[in-house]
Amino acid sequence: MKKLYSNKPVILSLVLPGLLVFLFAVLAPICLSVYYGFTDYSGMGEARLIGFDNYANLFHDSAFGRSLKNSLLLAIGFICIQHPLAILVAAVLDKLQGRAEGIFRCIYFIPNVISVAVIAYLWKFIYNPDFGLLNNIAKAFGHPGKINWLSQQNAIWSVLIVLIWHGFGWGMLIYYTGIKNIDPVLYEAASIDGANWWTTFMRITLPMMKPVIQINVTMAIISALKQMETVYLLTNGGPNNSTQFVANYLYQQAFKAFKYGYGNAIGVVFIIICVLATVTLNTIFKDKQEA
Amino acid sequence: MREDNRKIGKVILWIVLIAVAVIQLFPLIWLVDFSLGSSNEMFTNGLLIIPEKIRWDNYVKAFVDGNFLHYLRNSVLINTLAVVLVVIISIMAAFACQRMKWKMSALVSTLLVMGMMIPIHATLLPNYKIYNMLHLTDTLWALLIPYVAFSMPQGMFLMTGFIQSLPKELEEAAVMDGCGIYRIVFQIVTPLLKPSIATVAIMTFLNNWNEFMMASTYLSTPTWKTLPFSVLEFTGEYSSNYAVQFAVMALTAAPAVIVYIILNKHITKGVAMGAVKG
Repeated sequence: MKKLYSNKPVILSLVLPGLLVFLFAVLAPICLSVYYGFTDYSGMGEARLIGFDNYANLFHDSAFGRSLKNSLLLAIGFICIQHPLAILVAAVLDKLQGRAEGIFRCIYFIPNVISVAVIAYLWKFIYNPDFGLLNNIAKAFGHPGKINWLSQQNAIWSVLIVLIWHGFGWGMLIYYTGIKNIDPVLYEAASIDGANWWTTFMRITLPMMKPVIQINVTMAIISALKQMETVYLLTNGGPNNSTQFVANYLYQQAFKAFKYGYGNAIGVVFIIICVLATVTLNTIFKDKQEA
Repeated sequence: MREDNRKIGKVILWIVLIAVAVIQLFPLIWLVDFSLGSSNEMFTNGLLIIPEKIRWDNYVKAFVDGNFLHYLRNSVLINTLAVVLVVIISIMAAFACQRMKWKMSALVSTLLVMGMMIPIHATLLPNYKIYNMLHLTDTLWALLIPYVAFSMPQGMFLMTGFIQSLPKELEEAAVMDGCGIYRIVFQIVTPLLKPSIATVAIMTFLNNWNEFMMASTYLSTPTWKTLPFSVLEFTGEYSSNYAVQFAVMALTAAPAVIVYIILNKHITKGVAMGAVKG
């Protein structure tokens, strides 16, 4: 057994496909990004090494700062609006029994299986100033309904609404599974003690859900950092970079502004930020779990 | 008194659930509703319209001019291939790292899982360059390679966890019977991993089915473009005919929604397992 399980050629043959994919599609592009990040390459012609100039420029780039701020805003939106709602709805849904429970769960998740391409264009129409759904709803409440939802002031909030709406079902489903995994004996004990729904929720559901909440919060922050698709189609970072996100910005810099080198420098910083954020969040939550 | 409270509680519970359902679903109902009317009918103050005549021809236009069948075929093909490759590659690598005895097993395992932290979009620029150099742009590989690469870390992570929980006795018995490693991996271990294979397959599908950023960067001809392009390319062509645009959006969303409703229980379970463990 031992001999069989330490056969080097066999091990190599099992690991090689995975390693090759990783080297070719993840590691190689990162190395290439690091190289181009040190150049002034425009996308055509010669690439000239310019040292840390790109990184120095990045420090003073207000659009990049705006991108990070927007990610932070989105993360706050997820954690303060989407997640509390998702936990509450999950807890309420858990109380419901029978067919209705499955139907509601199914409905809440539907937006998640729809392509971002459809979602983004659909919301563009919903925000449309002439015949959009939102202005029509405003009119139904007696408002003149001439709001420009994607103006420089409003756009970032409109983008946040779409993202919070779209991801709601995902968060809800994970909290719902977490609640289903709580030992029912705890709820029986609470009900014998005469605890009402709210007390049970605050004293049993929430504390028992701590690990699930931590995972979900981590994922929310990471996905807020990585946001690109919806913004790319809905506003493309505009007007005036007010809805810019890092991934979208590096793409624009490379392919629209022809600063391929600069785009790659942003990419390198972006990767570092994402890795640091993941590691930091995992460490914080691990320490807390042990304490 | 208590009985009354309970009734009020029930009513509030239903109101909350229905309100959330309306918020999640109404935009989609609005989409389908307007897709059946004419573009002129959209300029209304009402929330929904009752089309004078139901215009199925919007959908015919969407189906034909949106290249629906061609893009759907590409999506199904590419995603199926990606799922199969991710499952096989991650089972093999997870088994080698988890069960077999070699010095670098922990290092390789960590390396492969670490891919989860790398933001996909940061690799768009360099990968474009690489695929261009190797003449891979506009081929199937330009999508398949990154789709596999970015779903593999999660697959690897999940498979490692599941293989760890399998009892070793089965493999020991197989070795006694003279099984080689490949037979152990594919004929003994793989069948036991069915639930986790389903989870990995569902997560891979959900990750890649709707992907379009890589596709629109690495592809320029329609040969391998996927379903989201029905929408992306259509809006330019029919920029003033809103109703047809609505139809193409509804049509593009339909396959995933229909499959989700049919497989709802399995998908829910898969996502829950994948997300909580991942």
